Amino acid sequence: MSTSTTEKFIPAKRYNTIAVALMVIGVIAAISLFVTTGGEGNHDNRARFWASLLQNSVYFLLVVNAAMFFMCATTLAWGGWQIGFTRVTEAIASCVPVIGVIALAILLALCFGDHHTIYHWTDAEHVAHDPVLEHKSGFLSKGFFAIVTVLTVVLWSFLGWKMRQLSLKTDEGDIVSTLERKKKFVWNNTVMAALYIVVFALTVMSSIPWLWVMSIDAHWYSTMFSWYNFASTFVAGLSLIALYVVFLKNNGYLPSVNKEHLHDLGKFIFAFSIFWTYLWFAQFMLIWYANIPEETIYFKPRAEGIYSAIFWMMLIINFVAPLLIFMSKDSKRNYTIVTVVSVLVIFGHWLDYFQMVFPAVSPDKVPMILFDMGIGLGFIGIIMYVTGKTLSKYPLTARNHPFVKEAVIHHT
Amino acid sequence: MSLNRYESQVREPLVEGSKDYHQITEDICRPVEATPSKLWWVGFIISVGLLIFGVVSIYMDVTYGIGQWNLNKTVGWGWDITNFVWWVGIGHAGTLISAILLLFRQGWRTGVNRAAEAMTIFAVMCAGQFPIWHMGRVWNAFFVAPYPNTRGPLWVNFNSPLLWDVFAISTYFTVSLLFWYCGLLPDLASLRDRAKLKWRKFFYGVASFGWTGSTKHWQRHEALSLVLAGLATPLVLSVHTIVSFDFATSVIPGWHTTIFPPYFVAGAVFSGFAMVQTLLLITRKVLNLEEYITMEHIDVMNKVIVLTGSIVGIAYLTELFIAWYSHVEYEWFAFRENRVNLNSPYGWAYYLMMGCNVLSPQIFWFRKMRRNLLVTFFMSILVNIGMWFERFVIIVTSIYRDYLPSSWSTYYTPTIWEIGFYMGTFGLFFTCYFLFSKFFPVIAMAEIKHILKRSGDSFKENMEKDENETLESFEHANAHH
Amino acid sequence: MAIKKFITGNFYDEAVLFPAVKKVRRAGYKVHDVYTPFPIHGLDKELGMKDTDLHIAGFIYGITGTTTAISFIGWALALDWQINFGGKPFFSLPAWIPIMFELTVLFSAVGMVLTFCWLCQLAPFVKKDHFNPRSTDDTFVMAIECTDKTNEEEAIAFLKNAGAQDVQAQSRETGWWFGRYDRETVQFGKKVAAV
Repeated sequence: MSTSTTEKFIPAKRYNTIAVALMVIGVIAAISLFVTTGGEGNHDNRARFWASLLQNSVYFLLVVNAAMFFMCATTLAWGGWQIGFTRVTEAIASCVPVIGVIALAILLALCFGDHHTIYHWTDAEHVAHDPVLEHKSGFLSKGFFAIVTVLTVVLWSFLGWKMRQLSLKTDEGDIVSTLERKKKFVWNNTVMAALYIVVFALTVMSSIPWLWVMSIDAHWYSTMFSWYNFASTFVAGLSLIALYVVFLKNNGYLPSVNKEHLHDLGKFIFAFSIFWTYLWFAQFMLIWYANIPEETIYFKPRAEGIYSAIFWMMLIINFVAPLLIFMSKDSKRNYTIVTVVSVLVIFGHWLDYFQMVFPAVSPDKVPMILFDMGIGLGFIGIIMYVTGKTLSKYPLTARNHPFVKEAVIHHT
Repeated sequence: MSLNRYESQVREPLVEGSKDYHQITEDICRPVEATPSKLWWVGFIISVGLLIFGVVSIYMDVTYGIGQWNLNKTVGWGWDITNFVWWVGIGHAGTLISAILLLFRQGWRTGVNRAAEAMTIFAVMCAGQFPIWHMGRVWNAFFVAPYPNTRGPLWVNFNSPLLWDVFAISTYFTVSLLFWYCGLLPDLASLRDRAKLKWRKFFYGVASFGWTGSTKHWQRHEALSLVLAGLATPLVLSVHTIVSFDFATSVIPGWHTTIFPPYFVAGAVFSGFAMVQTLLLITRKVLNLEEYITMEHIDVMNKVIVLTGSIVGIAYLTELFIAWYSHVEYEWFAFRENRVNLNSPYGWAYYLMMGCNVLSPQIFWFRKMRRNLLVTFFMSILVNIGMWFERFVIIVTSIYRDYLPSSWSTYYTPTIWEIGFYMGTFGLFFTCYFLFSKFFPVIAMAEIKHILKRSGDSFKENMEKDENETLESFEHANAHH
Repeated sequence: MAIKKFITGNFYDEAVLFPAVKKVRRAGYKVHDVYTPFPIHGLDKELGMKDTDLHIAGFIYGITGTTTAISFIGWALALDWQINFGGKPFFSLPAWIPIMFELTVLFSAVGMVLTFCWLCQLAPFVKKDHFNPRSTDDTFVMAIECTDKTNEEEAIAFLKNAGAQDVQAQSRETGWWFGRYDRETVQFGKKVAAV
């Protein structure tokens, strides 16, 4: 490989064109959805529009944020192998502020706007007649929702920016020039990652999915819900990283990364797909087994009702596909197969979010999913654009990172 | 081919002192080949004493029935199940270290995996005692097996989590044992080939299955270890998951909650690591293995403890929060009145659990504390006390107040025979561990040799050149593609 | 099996061993085996060994376990003797998944270990010759099999030249037999010294 380790990514014209085209598709899809769901006093339809924005923005925000989690978790574990492509992870994580702002706007609009059909608990009149929601109003309140949401997006963005700054500083070489300094750097990096993980535990692993997603089915509750959301978006985030690694390799970048690294990413996708299925099974089976009406009501439209096709299909895509395809060693080292599985997984978990959001919003008929896919493509366009932009700003290899040489000789 | 043995100098060595392959064999075989110390005998005799206490307690239970225990109208599961879950939980760290950390390529596992796996096997043996003897008419224990019988044939209830447990625990025990023993084969062969005494040659000759160290055999051995690790990883998750199903599939407030499976697993890893710390701190001291189980190992394990402790903490708070959020009054009552209320009969147990499992491990955020042997030892005991109380809180506080206030139990306390049974399992556990540390190498020699040239102290010192090289020239010299 | 003649040499450093293996194989000698105290990554490739298919066996054992579990439970609860457990259907798949999983792992693990022992001829009371007892301690022992065409002295000189120490010719049994390591064994009428 002749490319040097100081090289930056120069997005081909086609890359940016595709990104912009996807964004245009997203906007068109959103506009046409908005127009077709319009009409006086048609709350259900308008909710269908907002729900689509909610599903896509929350899903993609959590996915890019999962890249951040991957970075911090491996930093805490003192991993070496992932440093070879750490700039890719950082670039994906740099989408957090951008998609964060979009999601923030949508969430706050839902909270303070007049669209109570998604978040029933925002409707004061409705709450007054609903003892369950009234009981919950300490948690499901507009003020609390807004504060936590804003704080969360700000903290994710800020800590992500800090982590990236730390990594970029190594490029000058000064702060890692001696062994002592290297140790100091690793220490600082670890502290920052630990801080992020604490924030992550208090947001993604607990409060955020309750507020953003679970509160759509405002009566329903499941203690597993947040961990389940974490697993879902983490696999998708890993797949996104894998996609970018393959893409850059195919274009001759990332000289220190090879099939060994891809193999390990594949193992992560394989393992966490199984982990996701495990959480899915635990949540589903326990509710099925205990058969308490307050809980089973959630799965009624999903597993048996009109959403059942989507529900079972996403289980097959997210579990059976990675399990069978990624079981063999060779498939995890094959660029094409990794690409196919990654796309499948990202789509599969997108479907997962679709079936989490829509049954409560549109209980009588499954909405036309093509609109939602269009909006999803728009978000992918944004991710492509921002990631490409960040990748083109800095060298693609963290060449002075204390563990980068371990990444070079990494083999499975 | 990869001969490169580079590892960042930022990482601390995993083998201290200037060792070579032979020195490793000598150091690790020494405790096996020497006569046991006085301390060993003292410990061993105490353990056997406890074991005898346990045997007597079980004798009482079998002869006079489970009425020997203080179980009452609503507390049908008391110490017995608490102890069962506690021991199974402890039995998780070994497989976690040897399987999950193998897949995650955490080099430090090599120093501790053998002892941790042994501990796992003994802990599962102890755990198994409780459901078996709780059957009362233990001579009918074979009823749990699905064999063609004259009762219909009436099959066992495959839908019951208790039966899942039978399958899970026995599978876990079998697989852990196989995994552990396959790893032992090469080391037993080392002992065999070094043996001077006739009985040793015989014993290790039989035990090592005729292992020679052939390259082809090593290749298969590596493949086997990897796949077994891949199998053991979901297995270890499944075991405590299924234990949690025993509770969570029910509709009892405080038991039925969907987060139980992963939360039980995190708790199990938490308590397992604490037990590994307890044992290894003693083992490294008594057997002079400080150069192989270094401060770095202890530091890393303490990090795992603070991580899993915090995960468990998040789960506790999640449970508590959703109990309120659900607006199910029975669920909320179980939490508010039977647990959180300090003045309730078992309120103290809830706070003891919170203090030991969630608050106190937070001191391990500080490096100084992680590397303090005394603090680590104290904490490792504290965590296991906390984890015992976690199970006690979950089990007893959920059932001592039934739906029907008239059947609210009186305060449940164990009898001497329940305590004796529990002590007896300590006896069993430590008797096994003492025998293990006497007759088997407590550190995986072959694995330590495997990482020596990468993570050994004296070898790391020579990595200066690699460390200071630019990435390009390093890549040029070492890239294998 | 049979007793054959071998030229053996000791190595103490992987960096010497690897080139030596290459040289010896290139010179056309038949490397019987290399005995090492721990697994050396890449040595199997260097010796021209194929990857093992043990994991494929494991997969087959695994799905056998899954199939056994589901077919037996399904037959017992849904066909042979139907019982209503808590109003659940007779064919209650979610409730069977735990046991299906456990049996998958159990069959796979036990099957693989047995296959491993079978392939490597490992069992209690199995005894084999290996050339140097230190090969389970710190020595890498290379054994070259002498064929009709092998010139012993040349081979010894060649191996020495490749960096081996204590090069010597040894006659050893290539197979396994039942025996005890604390006793000498009478093997095919010939006395073989205890290793």
